[in-house]
Amino acid sequence: MDLQTEVLIIGGGATGTGIARDLALRGIPSLLVEKGDFTSGASGRNQGLLHSGGRYAVNDPDAARECIAENGILRRIAPHCIEPTDGLFVSLPEDGPEYRADFIRACGAAGIDTVPLSPREALLMEPRLNPRLIGAVQVPDGAIDPFTLVVENARDAESRGARILIHTEVTGLIRNGLRITGVQVLDRITSETFTIASTWVINATGAWANHILRMAGLQIGLALSKGSMLITNTRLSERVLNRCRPPASGDIIVPNDTVSILGTTSLRAEDLEHYEVTPEEVTFLVDELSRMIPDLKGERFTRAYAGVRPLLQSDQTGDDRKISRGFALIDHGSDHGPSGLVTITGGKLMTYRLMAEKTVDFICGRMGLQVPCSTHVQRLPGAGHGHTLKDRLLQLRRQTPAAKGAILCDCELVPTEVVDAILREGKVREFQDILHRTRLAKGTCQGGFCVYRLLGLFNERYREDVSGGSNRILKGFLEERWKGIRPVLWGTSLKEEELIESIYKGLFNLAAEESGRKGGGGT
Amino acid sequence: MRRFDLIVIGTGLAGLTAARTAIGMGAKVLIVGRGMGALALFGNTVDLLGEIPPATEMAEGIARWIAAHPEHPYARTGWEGIEGSIAAFRELFPLPYPFVAPSRGNTLLPTGAGTMRPTWLAPVTMAAGAAMTPSETLIVGLRGFKDFQGDTVSLHLQCRGVTLSLPRYGLEGLTAPAIARLMDETSFREGLGESIRQQMAGERFIGLPAVLGLRNPAAVLKTLEAITGARIFEIPMLPPSIPGTRIFHRFREELIAKGATFRMGHPVSGVTVKEGRCQKISIPNPPLVADHRADRFILATGRFLGGGLWAEMDRIVEPVFDLPVFQPGERGRWFGGRFFDPEAHPIHRSGIVTDTDLRPVDAAGRVVIANVWAAGSILAHHQAIEEKSREGIDIATGFLAAKRALAS
Repeated sequence: MDLQTEVLIIGGGATGTGIARDLALRGIPSLLVEKGDFTSGASGRNQGLLHSGGRYAVNDPDAARECIAENGILRRIAPHCIEPTDGLFVSLPEDGPEYRADFIRACGAAGIDTVPLSPREALLMEPRLNPRLIGAVQVPDGAIDPFTLVVENARDAESRGARILIHTEVTGLIRNGLRITGVQVLDRITSETFTIASTWVINATGAWANHILRMAGLQIGLALSKGSMLITNTRLSERVLNRCRPPASGDIIVPNDTVSILGTTSLRAEDLEHYEVTPEEVTFLVDELSRMIPDLKGERFTRAYAGVRPLLQSDQTGDDRKISRGFALIDHGSDHGPSGLVTITGGKLMTYRLMAEKTVDFICGRMGLQVPCSTHVQRLPGAGHGHTLKDRLLQLRRQTPAAKGAILCDCELVPTEVVDAILREGKVREFQDILHRTRLAKGTCQGGFCVYRLLGLFNERYREDVSGGSNRILKGFLEERWKGIRPVLWGTSLKEEELIESIYKGLFNLAAEESGRKGGGGT
Repeated sequence: MRRFDLIVIGTGLAGLTAARTAIGMGAKVLIVGRGMGALALFGNTVDLLGEIPPATEMAEGIARWIAAHPEHPYARTGWEGIEGSIAAFRELFPLPYPFVAPSRGNTLLPTGAGTMRPTWLAPVTMAAGAAMTPSETLIVGLRGFKDFQGDTVSLHLQCRGVTLSLPRYGLEGLTAPAIARLMDETSFREGLGESIRQQMAGERFIGLPAVLGLRNPAAVLKTLEAITGARIFEIPMLPPSIPGTRIFHRFREELIAKGATFRMGHPVSGVTVKEGRCQKISIPNPPLVADHRADRFILATGRFLGGGLWAEMDRIVEPVFDLPVFQPGERGRWFGGRFFDPEAHPIHRSGIVTDTDLRPVDAAGRVVIANVWAAGSILAHHQAIEEKSREGIDIATGFLAAKRALAS
């Protein structure tokens, strides 16, 4: 099976799917390949913060202006992916009043609305805040659901003619003289290899940009910065909470539907495929954010995760917080490399649409096309269909009594029929893919109960078609889950863990493959 | 205020065993606890030590195990202690619902994941699982009951499976206790038996989720076997556990009949220790707090899940008496890098270290509180989940702790 297209996009994150949608809206054929599932990289591993730009206002006014502009656009085109919570920049005694004054001034200059609040006003709005605060400033921050955002960009692009292949990995770039003319790919599910010929290849792989470029003997200056985050079992605040000080680690709490996400750290990542959240990072985040919410230590944490930010490196200062969060569009043909290859990287989730617009503007320019971008006005297809707990409860109430019992995930109220529909779509062969598309396993038990039920559904549907046995998939899920919960195992989370281990290792006698003991129990 | 000979803290299998043993010795006993412990979650069979291969005789296997694991709770009880306590446990379950040992070593029984799992004693409702063969077995799932996935079981056991809609009821989303209560009704189980019979193709064994009645499982078994002509077996599944609940109810009925006092629902809120002896414990009895005095105390509060141990960010504590807790280093070392590490996670070794009489000791080996004994999974240096020794440790140490406490 060899394919061809006009524009080949590598990477199924926000940028890649955003480019596919932008191209589709301008009538240009494209094909997107992603080696894993959508949002496998930084797009699925961030804090879910819809920046107002306030965080960058003092130090990086350009980034701040980009943020507030995109903030307004995303609220229009993707209202169902956003909870317009607003945000507070909280000044603690150690932050001092000076930065607060600079902050309000800089926000004004960048076009970010601010409402200065007295300590009393701030405490009335967010009662769990440290009562020693000296003031707060309200800005239009919010919470954003990057999973839905990316999946919908992809869905909309597909409905307008783009092709998308997930679990399809680029293994080589095809070079014809001075031009890149396509890619070699591997279908990671069927192990089939084939080629895709294209006029343009866009490298939208974020932190993996150099991984692709090395196939053409190229490299760009990219610092890989690991950011770790913690998820609480309950929602700590109504609004996004930021420290009103120069951007640092451990200074943001973002509400996310029924939970909150605490972040972040910034550590150099060496290996893109293997990195973990360390106990030290967890202790740091809890300690540091306890300054803003003093009773944080008694909170139950359900999971930790980390993402890798691709930061453009202009110099070697060593402090990744000082590197610009800006993005770069590199035409390798005009930079002594082969033509037909473009890399778009750096940036952040907030600017994915703008990054896509600039990339497609460039491609159009080279093609001699004059079609304007319309992604800033065309709403995403699911706009109007919410995903919050309230929406899910309302949906349940509308169901008939007979269908009501069919809930697969009790923590997050995911109906069996939703998961069944995803399985019916085909191509989904790993539990992880289902988890990206639903809230299954994102609640208190982190999938401890519902994954067994999911396995049953899976076996019912693919009775003859599970390579290596479905317990292989179950064990794979439990290992993936382990990465997230191991860093937060103390207190109530540790209790839950004893329950889950007792089920899968005790009651079900599942063991590591290499272990042949346990009385020869089959696994 | 009544003074008790013994107060048992913990109403799981270890605490129940200790209380029953003490009652049998003529003691006046108060048993206090928050719930049914692991029994209500995972109580199905009585495991002694799943590590021992099925071909090995249990007595021999455990003797070798003790020699290699001198700190293990079994090293305190010895094989004789295990044997005696298990015999006492079996006396509590006469016909028609006995616990049986299908062989002289471990027996493999099917689970809700379609795996096989080693155990020592099984309730009579599970015993036929040991004899099943794939070609002669039908696995029956119940439509709408999520915690037993019949397709998973039959696929892995390589036998035929069917999923039945339960007769008369629109049972989408039913829970195990609800189905078990329905099974206690004769007409319901007859209807189910008939539905199964219609699906059979000559099978001699039929596996069902472990929901065959709360009050009278033997009658459910009898009805289903009479209608189908096949041997029926229950398969353990996700919590809550019906067979474990049956064990709890049997103990509770016996203890109350023999004069023990039960206080359930509230954790111990305080203890009074003077000159190295515990005087009394306090239990919230809203709106009051009730004090209870005794000569001896047995702590059988379980591990983290039961509340017997609690992990703070930097250390593990025992919340009732603040006893010294053995712990495997700092938090970063509590767990291995993979969920299925070949070795059990180091934290599972944590717990209360005792002298040979099961009295908690500090790091120097000194007894901490002279009239407190510890029993069950709260003890250090076992790995009940991986070893498959949960019930054996509970029963053997609960039995021993009561004997030692009353001998003092």
